[in-house]
Formats: sequence, structure tokens, C-alpha cells
Amino acid sequence: MIWLVRHAICALLPSSDHFPGPAELGIDAFLVQLRRESNGLFWFGVVAGGVVFAVSPLITVGLPVPSFFLSAAALDRHASRIASHRFYLVRQSMVLLKMVAGFCWGAHPRVREKLALAPYPPDPGTWRAS
Amino acid sequence: MTHLAGQPRGPEVVLDADYVVVGSGAGGANIAVTLARGGASVVIVEAGPWRDPHDYPSSAYGGMRDLFDEWGSTFTRGRAIWPIVQARVVGGTTVINSAICVRTPGDVFARWERERGIPIQPMADAVARHQDALEAELCVEVAPPGAVGRNNALPLQGASILGYESALCRRYVKACVGSGQCLSGCVAARKQSMNVNFVPEVLRRGGTVVSNAPVKRVLTEGTRATGVTGWFKHPESRKWGAKFTVRARRAVVVAASATHSPALLQRSGIRSPALGADFRAHPGTAVFGCYDDVVDLNTGATQGWASMAFRDDPGVKLESLAIPAELVAGRLSGGGAQWMERLRDYRHLALWVHATRAESTGTVTNGWGDRPVVRYTLDTADMARFRAGMVLIARTHFAAGAKAVLPGIHGLPYRLGPDELCRMENAPLDPRLYVGILSHLFGGCTMGTNPANSVCDPWGRVHGWSGLVVADASTIPSNLGVNPQHTIMALARIWGERLLDARSSGIA
Ligand SMILES: Cc1cc2nc3c(=O)[nH]c(=O)nc-3n(C[C@H](O)[C@H](O)[C@H](O)COP(=O)(O)OP(=O)(O)OC[C@H]3O[C@@H](n4cnc5c(N)ncnc54)[C@H](O)[C@@H]3O)c2cc1C
Ligand code: SF4
Repeated sequence: MIWLVRHAICALLPSSDHFPGPAELGIDAFLVQLRRESNGLFWFGVVAGGVVFAVSPLITVGLPVPSFFLSAAALDRHASRIASHRFYLVRQSMVLLKMVAGFCWGAHPRVREKLALAPYPPDPGTWRAS
Repeated sequence: MTHLAGQPRGPEVVLDADYVVVGSGAGGANIAVTLARGGASVVIVEAGPWRDPHDYPSSAYGGMRDLFDEWGSTFTRGRAIWPIVQARVVGGTTVINSAICVRTPGDVFARWERERGIPIQPMADAVARHQDALEAELCVEVAPPGAVGRNNALPLQGASILGYESALCRRYVKACVGSGQCLSGCVAARKQSMNVNFVPEVLRRGGTVVSNAPVKRVLTEGTRATGVTGWFKHPESRKWGAKFTVRARRAVVVAASATHSPALLQRSGIRSPALGADFRAHPGTAVFGCYDDVVDLNTGATQGWASMAFRDDPGVKLESLAIPAELVAGRLSGGGAQWMERLRDYRHLALWVHATRAESTGTVTNGWGDRPVVRYTLDTADMARFRAGMVLIARTHFAAGAKAVLPGIHGLPYRLGPDELCRMENAPLDPRLYVGILSHLFGGCTMGTNPANSVCDPWGRVHGWSGLVVADASTIPSNLGVNPQHTIMALARIWGERLLDARSSGIA
């Protein structure tokens, strides 16, 4: 399911002239790590968001095709509209995806450099043993 | 001095003590240290791992993974889905909170007396006595001038122009360096969260801390609580380990938070009409201000400014809040190229929030996998307070020189200028249009004198049971209208003293 989530995240936060997007920032490795480390409910929510993103172009851009088949311009319109869709559950299903996109984007050293921030030291992931 | 950080599958681990305390957050750590200072033997059993400041993550992702309760996946079920933020780690939510210290307002005690039959005295005096001591022990101070930062200085200026009272917050922080990272733990070890003071003190006094140990059930015999049991859980692999049982000679203290304590008591077979009822919160939200000059949320105390001027009317507390770039990204509305374009403003954004003194109540039940299920929806009166708080923040931004605010209300434009505030004032009150969050939680095991509408008596003892005490935010029977940690800690200490008194007089 990583490919599905990747597709949605890269469309939601595409690279621009100013900032690289997750597609250029190692999103694949990031999602593998997320799937391994997150709990089932969180990952389920992320995948569910990916599914909603993929199947909903009809209600955003009026095209009865999965989002993979949209042109670049239509995909961008779809990403913009689904994130603020009038149906609560539809726009709400993008919240986790956007959060994950933000995690991948905002912590990356290239983005932090653009934001004039020092790179993060690695997260140690350690705890006190007995 | 014993710390047991989990055991792989194998023989059951059995411990005993005078008191077993479930949870090591604001309530649990304080009752445990009070008992340990009084010479009792104490075992603290904590679901999460013990992370010291050098173990803390830097990124928001690391914070979710290493400190937050189940990846922050608890949320309200109701009209709107709003996240409920809590920690699962030794020190509890004090590890990820902003350490703002506010004394319990007098009107709170008056309300508890009126509604719950809890006499104002001796409660109010005892709380004040403990809050004096806590402020000294936890080095309460405002951020030093070099650690204030623009995100805290600007609202001070805006409030003064608008003519309402506000100030830099007093916090449980010794010499803050203003890194703005309280929400993923203070790597600089300045914040006085429970894992760096009272929990280690319990160990030094001969107590035991059992971490990575989610309690499954409180053990009972007849109407007496006798201990707790569960299985260790590895914090990284999430694999289950050995079974543990801790027997309590005198009492079991449940301090697992306003969501987990009611759920734990329910799955332990404790019956009370009030158990899980009266869940309350201070729901909050943020309004960004866009400034011409750089603000930089990465410089300055995380929550260094606050105003209580509107606590009574409309019923909100205003605060500044710094969050990292990752979370700002997720919080800005939009998708696609337009969203990416909006992120260019990041360094020019100031972020201020409110906490609504909401009267709406909800319920907590024990759900699948021992997860608490919280049903909670703000009613229209609370939503009006919620919206009014946002308008107050927006006004303060404009007074401080913002050129626009980002209200984050669905259906409103992304940016509003100073002349467009009426759009916010008249926004519909449907909670689904707002991005709310719950971080100050109360109730579920409320205290009071009447067993028909309360779970515990005014000393935290569960009605109808012996040797069973609750000592955390779940006992608080109303909203406070101020940050709750100071109240929770003081109440836990009072109840700890009471247990020691009962012990010396031979009462169970
Ligand atoms: C982001 C944020 C910022 C905040 N900022 C402030 C602030 O500045 N000032 C303030 O006064 N308040 C603040 N608060 C609120 C404050 O931190 C909490 O009200 C307070 O910590 C609650 O104390 P507690 O003891 O009830 O629960 P917690 O501190 O949450 O502790 C409960 C503990 O019990 C453990 N536990 C749960 N279930 C089990 C189980 N089954 N077995 C064993 N252990 C279990 C948990 O892992 C946790 O460690 C903030 C909260 C948040 C989320
Ligand atoms: S702002 Fe930074 S230095 Fe100050 S208490 Fe928070 S994390 Fe520690």
C-alpha cells in the first residue's frame, strides 16, 4: 500500500521552484519506516486517506477515473479540492496524509536549510534500561 | 533503588509494596513521591518507557513515535473528529507539555462545593500549601529575556495595545534557553517534567519503577483492591513480554490520566454510575498571524505568553504556541501546489492559541485493545466561546502588526485582513468546520460526596471500595479555565498525605 500513500502525498505536496517536495526527499524510505514503526490504527488511517485520494476525482474534478490517471494539472486541482472538500469525512481523511507529508518534508535537512534552520540531530529512539 | 524496564516472555514478575501507583504523570509522580517521602514503599507502574532528556527525539515524527500515546491516535468521536493529545512515557504528559504553572482559581473550589459537596476548606488551603512547595521544588519562573522570542513578545505588545491584561507565563522550567521544543521533550533538560525529578526521587527513596508495563487490570478481592497485573510491552517492537503482578499491601492508586483511568477501572470490573461520565476538556485551536518581519517559531519559549483576561467572558485562555515546521505544514490548509506555496510564509508566521473553558461533557469507555473511547462534542454555547477566542487572537495579531491572519475555518478564505474579521465573528458554529484539539482533560472518575454522581470521594478514594484511590486529572469534576498540572499535582499530594495519615492511624 506504500505506493498508494506515496502517490497521494506527492500530489498533495508537490515540489515547487522554492521547495523540494516529499518526492525528492526520500518519501519511499520514510514510508517504509512509518509502516514499520507506527501502530496499526495510525497506519490504517494513512492508507485509508490514500484510498480516498485515489478514488475520489469524480467528486473533486468531475472525472470518473482514479487519481493515477489524471493529468498533472487535474491532479493538482484534485489535491487542492480534496483537502478542503465540503464533505467533512472526505477532507478529514486527508488530515493524516498531510501530517505525514509534513513530517517527511519539514524534518528534511534540505528543507530545513531553505527555512534557515539547523538540521535535526538524529532521533536516538533510546530509553533507560533496567 | 530498582528500575525494571520490561522483561521478555518468561516467568511472571511478582512484586509487592505498600502502595502501587499506576501512571507516572502529574498525578502519579506526585502521589508516589509524597508516599515515598512519608516512608512508605512504593512501586510505580508505567505503560511507557523511561526516556531521559538525551533520549528525546528532535523531530515531530520522533515525538509521535517515542513520546505520544499510541501515535496520538486517540480522538473524539462525536460531531467532529478532534485529536486528544497525551504522552505514554515515564513522566506522562508533563514530558511533552509546555510546563505552564497556574494556581487553582478560587471560583473552582466554590463550584466544587456547590455542585459536588466538597467543602472549600480544608481543600483550598491544602492546595495552596502544596502549590507553594511545588513552585519552589520545580523552579517556577518566567522565561529569561534571552529566551522570550518574538512569538511571545508580539502578543504582549498586541494585548497592551488592545488594553487587556497579559503576561509572560510562569513555567516549571529552570533557565529556559528558548528552543521552542517543549512538545517533543526538553533536550536541554531545563523543563521540570516528572521523569527528571519526582520519579527519580521515588527511586532514591527506595521505591521501584516498572516501565514498559501497561496495566491490564486492577486486582480485587471482594470490595478491596489488592494489586495490579498486566504484560510488559516492548516500546519499539511492541511485542508482549512477561506477565507482571504488583501486590499492594495498603492501596492501589490509579493515575493513568483522564482517558486511561476510567477505562482501566471499567475493565477491572469497578461499577459506578459515574464511571466514565463527565469527561471534560479545554478544547483549543490556533490562529496564525502573518507578519512582514521574520517571527521564527524556533526561537523562544514554546508557550511563553498567556492572558487570563477572558477566562470568565467569553471563557477562554489565550496563549502563544511554537510548533515545528513539520506540524505547521500539516496545520496549514490546502493541498497541491497552492499548499506548498503557502509554506513559504513559515518564518513569518506567529502562532497563538486558545483553550476554551467548555461546559460540554462526554464519556470515556474501555474499547478494543484497552484503548479509551472518548465520545465528546462541543455544544453551541461552547462553540460560540471557541469562535470568540479565535476572534480575540486575530484581533491581537492585528494589533501586534500582522498583515493577515489564517483562521483555518472551513468555508472562510485562507487569509483574512483586518477589515474582514466579521467573517470570523459570523462563521457558523458547526465543530466540523474547525480544527480543534484536546490537551487539558478532566473527569471520568470525578470526585464528590455523592456516589450517584461521583466515582471518588474528596480524598480520591473510590466509593464503595477500600484500598483504591484515583489521583489524576480524571478526578477533577469541572473545567478549571486554567492549565491543570498545578491543580492535579497538588490534589495528588493531598491524597498522598491522607493515605499516610490513614496508615499511621491504622485505617486502611
Ligand atoms: C501538548 C500539551 C501541552 C500541555 N501544556 C500544559 C501546560 O503548559 N501546563 C499545564 O498545567 N498543563 C498542560 N497540559 C496538560 C497536562 O500536561 C496534563 O493535564 C497532565 O499531565 C495530566 O496529568 P495526569 O496525571 O492526569 O496524566 P498524565 O500526565 O498523562 O499521566 C498518565 C500516565 O499514565 C500512564 N498510563 C496510562 N495508562 C496506563 C496503564 N494502563 N498502565 C500504566 N500506565 C498507564 C501514561 O503512559 C502516562 O504516563 C498540556 C497537555 C498537552 C497534551
Ligand atoms: S522552550 Fe526549549 S529550553 Fe525552554 S523548556 Fe521548552 S524545550 Fe526546554
